[in-house]
Amino acid sequence: MKKIVEPVTHETDEITGYVLRLNVKILGLVLALLFGSAIFVATNWLIIKGGEPVGPHLQLLSQYFPGYRVTFGGSLIGFIYGAALGGFAGGLLGWIYNGIVMLKRGEKNSA
Amino acid sequence: MNRPPPDTAPVLIIGAGPAGLAAAHELVRQDVHPVVLEKGDKAGGIARTEVYRGYRFDIGGHRFFTKNDAVMKLWQTVLDQGFITVHRISRIYYDGRFLDYPLNFFNALTRMGATESLFILLSYLRSQIRPYPEEETFEQWVSNRFGRRLYGKFFAPYTAKLWGMPCDRIPADWARQRIKGLSLMAALSHALFGNQKAKSLIHEFHYPEKGPGMMWEAFCEKIAEKGGHVRFDTKVMGLNHTNRRITGVKCMEGDRTFEMPVEHLISSMPLDKLIAMLDHHRVVPAGVSKAANSMSHRGLILVVLILDKDALFPDQWIYIHGPGFKVGRIQNFKNWSPAMVPDPHRTSLGMEYFCNEGDRLSSMSDEALSAVAASELARLGLAEKNQVIDTFVVRQPDAYPVYTSGYEKRLKVIGDFLDGFENLQTIGRNGMHRYNNMDHSMQTGILAARNVLGADHDLWAVNEEAEYLEEDASVSPRRTLTEKMILQSFAGMDKSALGIALGTVSGLLFFVATLWLVIKGGEVVGPNLQLLSQYFFGYTVSVKGAFIAFFYGFLWGFLFGWFFAYLRNLLVALHLFRVRKKAERLSLRDFVDHI
Ligand SMILES: Cc1cc2nc3c(=O)[nH]c(=O)nc-3n(C[C@H](O)[C@H](O)[C@H](O)COP(=O)(O)OP(=O)(O)OC[C@H]3O[C@@H](n4cnc5c(N)ncnc54)[C@H](O)[C@@H]3O)c2cc1C
Repeated sequence: MKKIVEPVTHETDEITGYVLRLNVKILGLVLALLFGSAIFVATNWLIIKGGEPVGPHLQLLSQYFPGYRVTFGGSLIGFIYGAALGGFAGGLLGWIYNGIVMLKRGEKNSA
Repeated sequence: MNRPPPDTAPVLIIGAGPAGLAAAHELVRQDVHPVVLEKGDKAGGIARTEVYRGYRFDIGGHRFFTKNDAVMKLWQTVLDQGFITVHRISRIYYDGRFLDYPLNFFNALTRMGATESLFILLSYLRSQIRPYPEEETFEQWVSNRFGRRLYGKFFAPYTAKLWGMPCDRIPADWARQRIKGLSLMAALSHALFGNQKAKSLIHEFHYPEKGPGMMWEAFCEKIAEKGGHVRFDTKVMGLNHTNRRITGVKCMEGDRTFEMPVEHLISSMPLDKLIAMLDHHRVVPAGVSKAANSMSHRGLILVVLILDKDALFPDQWIYIHGPGFKVGRIQNFKNWSPAMVPDPHRTSLGMEYFCNEGDRLSSMSDEALSAVAASELARLGLAEKNQVIDTFVVRQPDAYPVYTSGYEKRLKVIGDFLDGFENLQTIGRNGMHRYNNMDHSMQTGILAARNVLGADHDLWAVNEEAEYLEEDASVSPRRTLTEKMILQSFAGMDKSALGIALGTVSGLLFFVATLWLVIKGGEVVGPNLQLLSQYFFGYTVSVKGAFIAFFYGFLWGFLFGWFFAYLRNLLVALHLFRVRKKAERLSLRDFVDHI
């Protein structure tokens, strides 16, 4: 027969006692979209504004993102680079955060 | 239907109250034929319907209400006709006034007068600023939520009347268990997803047209139809056991005593009496006996007054607060269902008096009790004494299991001992010494029956977990999912973890960005990135500078992450505080229902 256990009558503050975990995949995806679209929008904004030369400072991104230019095609390339960087940064951020939380709470499995 | 009851059965159930009948019904559904042993002459236990000269009445009004859809479905299936919906009307008599109940905060304050209201508000504010640091007693628990003045004026007298002891002897855990809507999780899910069900539970309820007894009779019929038996006027007098197995149940039916062998025993009789029955060979450890002996119950005396008046007041019941009256609640049975009275020109009232065995009230004769009831009714201004044409008194011992401090420990001692019996389960209100309503009592019965059939349910989780017995398998996962979502959305962020994570990521970005330019080389290396030195003192686009950039990136990232988590936690905490306070204010409406 089922064991008769001590009734749990204490108001467990389930919520305040719980520490938030980050969803690594979602965080990566969100930052990927954010970074990617930031570069896409910033590039196209300068193109629409026009002028001579177009976006010399943003052009500096090509130092890190080979093939990137302040053109519509470049904005697509920038989107891909930005998304890759954002995805990586988000994933890493979530992974480190969750790792520390688990370490502090003495848990074993990773997120 | 009228088969003679067998003297053996695979499962014996003590008590034909809601819990025992629910267990028997569940067993016959699964083709197991139990025998229910009931000492009384009718089914329903505390929830039975008594009849006196055609006037039907409950032992205190019994509302059929539950948050559990499975129990509601069971009631509706078993009693497929005559299960009416009643719109609730009830009031509280307080300090010479009748206040609407469930309470409307502002209505209550206006009725109490400006000065009293001001004092109540001030005391509420004080309790929010300087609450009792410890919440060990009911008094502290209630005062911290509603203020000491409201507690003292409003809740203390009624609670003390009901429980027969001052509120500083009632443990706070009891209030926590009874008033579940105040847990943060419950409050949040109500705030987020609304709670139509709870709202309608306050304002309407179901009721069998001819009183709850009608429901239990229907249960008995269903049980008998499917091969089970309910033996009335059969009192369990003792239990035989060897090697921690119950082997026989000694019964008395009229003058005849006999013993029934038993495979499985399910008991809804009071725990203390069960322990006493197990102790015939002095095998019960002294600690267990002591714990059982200190389990106490509060009794109820119902004085039924029949009045020569067709209508007295519209309420189904009125709570009587204030120490000036001994009566705790007044039921007006025809307002529950007109079929409760045989003559529509007359009214029957149930005056509820709470008592302890042997105290002054319980020692009074029926005549004396009737006189007190009639005179209190007149003092309340609800009827004239001379309108009372007949009276009837019912005494219900063990109506309320009492929770005094340390009851949990005592219950555990008893539970651990009983757990040693492999074929015994205890269910229901007194069977578990739990302040259970009918729905929770019945749930324990159903689960015990399923355990007999091989399941492994924890009966003690009923009433702790609101929807323990949802037939609809999708409900529990849904609830867990909701709770998970709530946990995930409102749980605190670890500030330093976010700081370190964001610091590391941003440090690495700066580090790689610098190193990349250094590796690429050129005439002037990274003149634009060099501008970072405006913020990062000592920074250059060099290998050494990459480390400096990492340091600064980490520092700023850490500060930003930490502060972000701090602000987010603060905003969430403020929101939670608001939700909790709102839930507390709302719970005031029907607080007395839970006492
Ligand atoms: C005043 C009052 C108002 C209430 N109002 C409500 C309400 O509005 N809604 C609600 O849901 N609940 C209400 N309740 C609670 C409800 O009455 C109980 O939850 C329910 O009756 C418990 O059922 P049970 O089967 O566990 O126990 P009981 O109803 O106590 O049944 C136990 C049965 O066991 C029998 N028994 C005991 N000892 C023996 C023995 N030795 N041999 C054979 N038989 C034995 C008893 O005769 C009894 O019939 C109220 C209770 C009270 C006191």
